[in-house]
Amino acid sequence: MSPNSAGRAEKLGYTNVKVYHEGLPEWTKKNYTVITVPFLKEAFIDKEIPNVLLDVRPTAKAEKGFIKGAVTLPATEVATNIAKFPPKEMKPPIIIIDDTGGDDAKKAAKALITAGYTSVTILTGGMDAWQAAGGPVQTGKLATTVVYVPKPRPGEISIDDFKKITANTPADTLILDIRSQDEASTGMIKGAKVVSDEEILDRLAEIPKDKQIITYCSTGVRAEMAYHKLKEKGYKVKFLNAKVEFDDKGNYTIEKP
Amino acid sequence: MLHKRLTSIICTTAIVFGLAMIVDQAAAQEKAAAVAAPPAKPVIAKLCANCHQPQAGSLRGNFDNVSYKTQSIQIKIDDAVEILTFDKNSLKTTNIKPDPENPSEPLRVLKKGKEVRVEYTEKEGRKFATLLSAKPVIKVAPEKLISTADAENLVAQGPEKGKYLLIDARPAPRFMESAIPTAINIPFPAFEKNTDKLPKDKNALIIYYCAGVT
Repeated sequence: MSPNSAGRAEKLGYTNVKVYHEGLPEWTKKNYTVITVPFLKEAFIDKEIPNVLLDVRPTAKAEKGFIKGAVTLPATEVATNIAKFPPKEMKPPIIIIDDTGGDDAKKAAKALITAGYTSVTILTGGMDAWQAAGGPVQTGKLATTVVYVPKPRPGEISIDDFKKITANTPADTLILDIRSQDEASTGMIKGAKVVSDEEILDRLAEIPKDKQIITYCSTGVRAEMAYHKLKEKGYKVKFLNAKVEFDDKGNYTIEKP
Repeated sequence: MLHKRLTSIICTTAIVFGLAMIVDQAAAQEKAAAVAAPPAKPVIAKLCANCHQPQAGSLRGNFDNVSYKTQSIQIKIDDAVEILTFDKNSLKTTNIKPDPENPSEPLRVLKKGKEVRVEYTEKEGRKFATLLSAKPVIKVAPEKLISTADAENLVAQGPEKGKYLLIDARPAPRFMESAIPTAINIPFPAFEKNTDKLPKDKNALIIYYCAGVT
């Protein structure tokens, strides 16, 4: 999506448009990301998306007011307590909270990224911003054990179930490839039908309503967009939230994003 | 053979678009036929119209199939089908790499659905293709790419000092969960609605990223 956007910007006359093509998957290997207070509420708390809320302030300070569900682990102790976290292969989204989104949070983030966690996010503005926005706080003892129970996103099909279906696609199931024709021409899942995200709403007539639809793309992002579009139109649909990569021999690997 | 295929496509289309409508349509068509000719076929598919204008003597749509025997090609423009004839000795092609084993029939390598532009001339209501241009694969020129190290340097400086605007092109729900510091979110499908968020200075540095190489 970024090359397409860059192309449009150039059409508008912008002369210095660049693309950071590796994008988030590379960025998060070495760097933290950020989340704002309203987005923490809307994207995680309201939707009950599992995450690890890590309060890295001194425990005594955190006890005076913390976000529900937070675990206390002061910034200086994160590096020595990596074993307390769920395995990095589970890719838990870890959201780090200090007073201001400052150096303590960055220090804790660095320790987790060094240990191989790839979804390490700092709450912008920290606890100060949370309270300024009127976010509810609890007082008293915080949890000291990190608990993370992954839950599929709404509409997500597990990688195992997806593999079963690609190995032997039932007659009442249609796999949709939500990449562009060009991407699909480098390799695609057998029996899938290519409908890019851009054109999906114009091509609904080609997508049978009586079949179970399963979408995939290269990262899971477009597959999820297509899931929402089709669901809204009354389709029975699921999406694969995974990275799918094809080699030049038509083999592919599916990996958790 | 091509003719046969065309008939089957028309039939399928009719079924897809709802048998229930046929009765009404037939009545409406009778009425319409008395007053006006059928509407002109589209010359550009909706998807192509996102970026391209219709052009006289040019069709934009999805390649359907080719017959070298009858020297004709079939192009789908949304729900309509166009059949054009061509002369295999004079048809020009661009962005198509012919199969080395069959260099004289370059269109054979095109996959069904590939986005194409066809230039044609028209004689007695028949379209004759002179050029078939396949949509090039979107490849970002190397000078337009920035590395993770470049991105890290800029982000460390911040947008004012680094003089950049970092744009996350992913859908909003993903951006909300986590984003590169200093980024704003303009999902690609909403590009046109958000042009006011782009810098006023057309020479300003704009950097796009998304969920990896797509």
